[in-house]
Amino acid sequence: MNALRSFWNSPIGPKTTHFWGPTFNWSLPIAAAIDTQKPPEAISGNMTTVMCLYSGIFMRFAWVVKPRNIHLMVCHMTNETVQLYQLSRWIRAQRGTELKKEEADE
Amino acid sequence: MATSKLQAFLNHPAGPKTIHFWAPTFKWGISIANIADFAKPPEKLSYPQQIAVTATGLVWSRYSTVITPKNWNLFSVNVAMAGTGIYQLSRKLRQDYFSEKEEAVAKE
Repeated sequence: MNALRSFWNSPIGPKTTHFWGPTFNWSLPIAAAIDTQKPPEAISGNMTTVMCLYSGIFMRFAWVVKPRNIHLMVCHMTNETVQLYQLSRWIRAQRGTELKKEEADE
Repeated sequence: MATSKLQAFLNHPAGPKTIHFWAPTFKWGISIANIADFAKPPEKLSYPQQIAVTATGLVWSRYSTVITPKNWNLFSVNVAMAGTGIYQLSRKLRQDYFSEKEEAVAKE
């Protein structure tokens, strides 16, 4: 009960915007997780690269902001992981198509 | 005169020496990437990703006006995110649901 009450009244708890912002931010890693099941042609190289930079920066931001927002940090750590995985799939698919073009030219 | 204004900006607690400046600045990258993707065919767009971009954009736009102090940089970047997300969704929805009807009518 005490843990629940301290969460409820926390400076980054559900009565505050510091909770709901990160809560909605989870939609980004969840969307990326859904997209891991799709073929790599559906991945946007632009968006995925930007997401990797964006979550990298916001992990740091969540740590130094006042009040420190671990919820936001964990959300961005998760997003960073999924986005890097998607980026690796995209790069691998790009290399695959380049190799096919070279073989066709020979 | 100009130097002191520049110095005031450079040394601001939310200025370019701090993460409070670079974090919203990098968030613009998401909207810029989305604008670059306006050129992509709608089959290549992702519903989950665009819904996520739109939803976070809308929620953070609202919240950046209720926090103290109001952060107009954060507000504008999230409005842009929601805007580009909504546009991309409309492109994909239009292709998936509205051009099919036209094809069906053409076949009849």
